[in-house]
Amino acid sequence: MKEVVQVDHFSFTYQDAKAPSLRDVSLTVREGEFLCVVGANGAGKTTLCNSLVGLIPHYFSGSSEGYVRVNGADTAHSSVADLSNYIGLVFQNPFNQLTYASGTVAEELAYGLGNRGISRDEMRRRVKLVSQLMHIEDLLDRDPLELSGGQVQRVAFGSTFIMEPNILVLDECTTQLDPLGASEIFEIVKQLNAEGVTVIMVDHDMERVVQYADTVVVMDAGRVVLSGSPKGVFALSDLGRYGIDAPEYVKLSKGLEKNGLANGDLAITYDESVAMAKKALER
Amino acid sequence: MRIELRDVCYGYQPERQVLRHINLCFDGNQSVAIIGQNGAGKTTLAKHLNGILRPTQGSLLIDGTDICDWTTAQWSSRVGYVFQNPDDQLFLGSVREEFSFGPRNIGMDEAAIGRRITKVAALTGLQDKLDAHPSDLSPTEKKFCGIGAVVMMNPDAVVFDEPTCGQDHAGNARLHRLIAELKHEGKMCLAISHDMKFVAANFDRVVAIRKGEVLLDSTPEDVFSQTDTLRESFVAPPPITRVAQGAGLADTVFSVDQFIEAIRNTRSK
Repeated sequence: MKEVVQVDHFSFTYQDAKAPSLRDVSLTVREGEFLCVVGANGAGKTTLCNSLVGLIPHYFSGSSEGYVRVNGADTAHSSVADLSNYIGLVFQNPFNQLTYASGTVAEELAYGLGNRGISRDEMRRRVKLVSQLMHIEDLLDRDPLELSGGQVQRVAFGSTFIMEPNILVLDECTTQLDPLGASEIFEIVKQLNAEGVTVIMVDHDMERVVQYADTVVVMDAGRVVLSGSPKGVFALSDLGRYGIDAPEYVKLSKGLEKNGLANGDLAITYDESVAMAKKALER
Repeated sequence: MRIELRDVCYGYQPERQVLRHINLCFDGNQSVAIIGQNGAGKTTLAKHLNGILRPTQGSLLIDGTDICDWTTAQWSSRVGYVFQNPDDQLFLGSVREEFSFGPRNIGMDEAAIGRRITKVAALTGLQDKLDAHPSDLSPTEKKFCGIGAVVMMNPDAVVFDEPTCGQDHAGNARLHRLIAELKHEGKMCLAISHDMKFVAANFDRVVAIRKGEVLLDSTPEDVFSQTDTLRESFVAPPPITRVAQGAGLADTVFSVDQFIEAIRNTRSK
């Protein structure tokens, strides 16, 4: 399948920083893949996200080696505006995402479309669609500055989805949402992924990562140290040295096996774990 | 220390009540998690506990005394509030200055401040960062700087707003140790959280809020067993608890060991 993102021996050091934030990172993402990036804070996850959408090197200055290509275009030689035709980023802190140049949520949602010269009718159609999807229809006339953290996060999602990118980059983007609200947004992301959108997601919630990821990439101190299927990666017992914790489901599988209640299979999702527990009850 | 909310109501605008007739009592070194849907009123409730907001109706009592007319300085020496976003809280030129500012303002002497800095820096993992500028800290360190600045004032109770937000595995483990240490010192810890794994692992009591009212108020075992009621506040139990419920185990479990014990109990029946 087509490779939509190619990171090749890419290193980046922020201006005035003593050490590189990314070190010789190589990574490819196939069209339609759901890839999750995990690692301790400071591992370089956000720097990678910023590199994929062109904020590095166009907004954050520093020195780099290697290259990042998105849909074949070298990010160093494409503007952030051009890249935004293919790739959209939902920021870690939603308050950093909004332009605040708009008086209402509706204008905020349409801001990117305005810059792209989309017609008024099309803007209205997409604002309606996205606000329904994100359940923010009743916020459209509100001032973005008056919203709660969870509401701002929904608007931030909406303002990215509305650009209809074929690659979505999500950087710990549901930290302000209640658990069911977060699940609801991930179901929307999963739906978009099923329709062909490529997803690159950074998250600390390992149960969520195993639920959605086709591929898990582990980062540590600016490097990619592991990459593989969720089952392959989380079966490893020494993940602690990269500052990450195994999903609860994996810990349960291993605990059941240790106590003679399972046969060594690894359950990595809720459904698999329930099936394994039911079997343990019957043994 | 004992904090009581009696019939507390609050609205940012008079026509929109965010808190409706809240009656709650927090006592001693209890650790309490406040959970619930976005917009349910969790932060509004928490901001009443140290006088950032004052009730429009009802009263707040600390150790039996109505404290609604206390000054912010009086409140903050008894109840500390750690903001969700450290950028809303930090404003000085170094971690050391952040740590010294609050205690100095409530009249703590310099020797005591020095001793507390050593202790709090160890608790928050910022021993080597005391002279760093807060804006040069990593997001995790910044969060712990905000926590440290509040703990420095040695309040009887600490309120945390979403402390695990943006934290990694190491940050969560440090938070766990910090809450245990505060509890050991007899302090009350209250936290607003959407992270149910964190809630189940760290708190004695869970209060679920829905639309400005108390929906559930009990032990984690009891609260997380009421899945239908929880759903009304947009909360699901922690993953391992849900697996046990899905497999039909009667006990509400929060750890692998508890899970295995519950399986053995069920099988022996």
